[in-house]
Amino acid sequence: MFYFRALFAALIATLALQSALAAKPNPLIGKPAPDFVLKGLDGTNRRLSEYRGQVVLVNFWARWAGLSRQEMPALEQIHGTYERAGLIVLGVSIDEDLERAREFAAATHVTYPMLFDSGEATGTGYGIEKLPMTVLVDRGGIVRYANVGFKHGDEKIYLEQIRELLRE
Amino acid sequence: MSFKFRSSFPLLRASLLCVALGFGVAVSAADAPSTKAAAADAASPSPAVNTSAPAAGTAAPAPAAGSSAAAAAPVSSDPSSSDFKTLDQEVQGLKKDVIDLNKDLFVLEEELLFPANTQVAVFLSMDVGSFFALDSVTIKIDNKEVTNYLYTAREAEALLKGGVHRVYLGNLKVGKHEIVGFFTGKGPHERDYKRGATINFDKGVGAKYLEFKISDKVPSHQPEFLVKDWE
Repeated sequence: MFYFRALFAALIATLALQSALAAKPNPLIGKPAPDFVLKGLDGTNRRLSEYRGQVVLVNFWARWAGLSRQEMPALEQIHGTYERAGLIVLGVSIDEDLERAREFAAATHVTYPMLFDSGEATGTGYGIEKLPMTVLVDRGGIVRYANVGFKHGDEKIYLEQIRELLRE
Repeated sequence: MSFKFRSSFPLLRASLLCVALGFGVAVSAADAPSTKAAAADAASPSPAVNTSAPAAGTAAPAPAAGSSAAAAAPVSSDPSSSDFKTLDQEVQGLKKDVIDLNKDLFVLEEELLFPANTQVAVFLSMDVGSFFALDSVTIKIDNKEVTNYLYTAREAEALLKGGVHRVYLGNLKVGKHEIVGFFTGKGPHERDYKRGATINFDKGVGAKYLEFKISDKVPSHQPEFLVKDWE
């Protein structure tokens, strides 16, 4: 009986800890977005800070993260709709295997720029713990939203956040 | 240890800036009520004199005081605006002081982290660049990679317009050293191009400045990579 109670208490404590961790906001929010310069699929180098003055959506993805594949069509649609309004969508692969990541990116046929981080510097700078991770940077270069994971319907949340930042 | 040392400087600078800004705000906030009060005082003598005059029972001086106050009233608006101007000038002066302080701290930080006797700086410039589109630069010192820099189209354009980029700033011991720069980009006919340039130099006491210069070699229709040692 004692062991059962101890086990039950441990289970409750674990669940409480998990919920506390899940509720923890990203420490980057409200801070300047860590700058990066990465090579794109088309061979051009892109630096985040050069988009200052525009709203930037940075989507960190990896080939092996199934949710990343589900998110890309939604991002493509957002890119198509809001590009002319001043939204920049950047896909950043943090896949270790650059060649396979490039092949995968080419096969997705998305039109927004796909960048490739050969090291782990960019991902570490953004404190990525789970993929995909979608970060929204405002016109002043400040991280305003960080969305971790993806499920159908999240694109509506992205749209609300994007519209808010574009209005500013 | 060195990491902590480096990281403490931006914090120190930020805190000093905050203190300076806070001081500025405190001064302006402290000044603002006093100047407003002064302005109010300057405007208010007329009713004060008028009300106090009958209480004293001296009727004759009251109109005189009132008229003088009335005459002074339009004049009193000018000092208040001039007070605001001086306050604005003070704020601007404080802002300038903060910028100067920030500059001094930056210089101090550089001098401490990269003292002149060990400092080595590597610069990159481009001249014309018709035969080479710069993509990235890797710098190796004594066979150890110290920096790798990717250039965006804008940065490459800035270099072509005469800009000079400080690719690397670090410390080196006195003695013989070798610096190798590897340049990747597109060469003539849009071909992938990778070239290196090496310089062996003797680091003495005092800062060392080296410049990699990419220029066009017109007779051979090829880019040229030169290294210049700024004595």
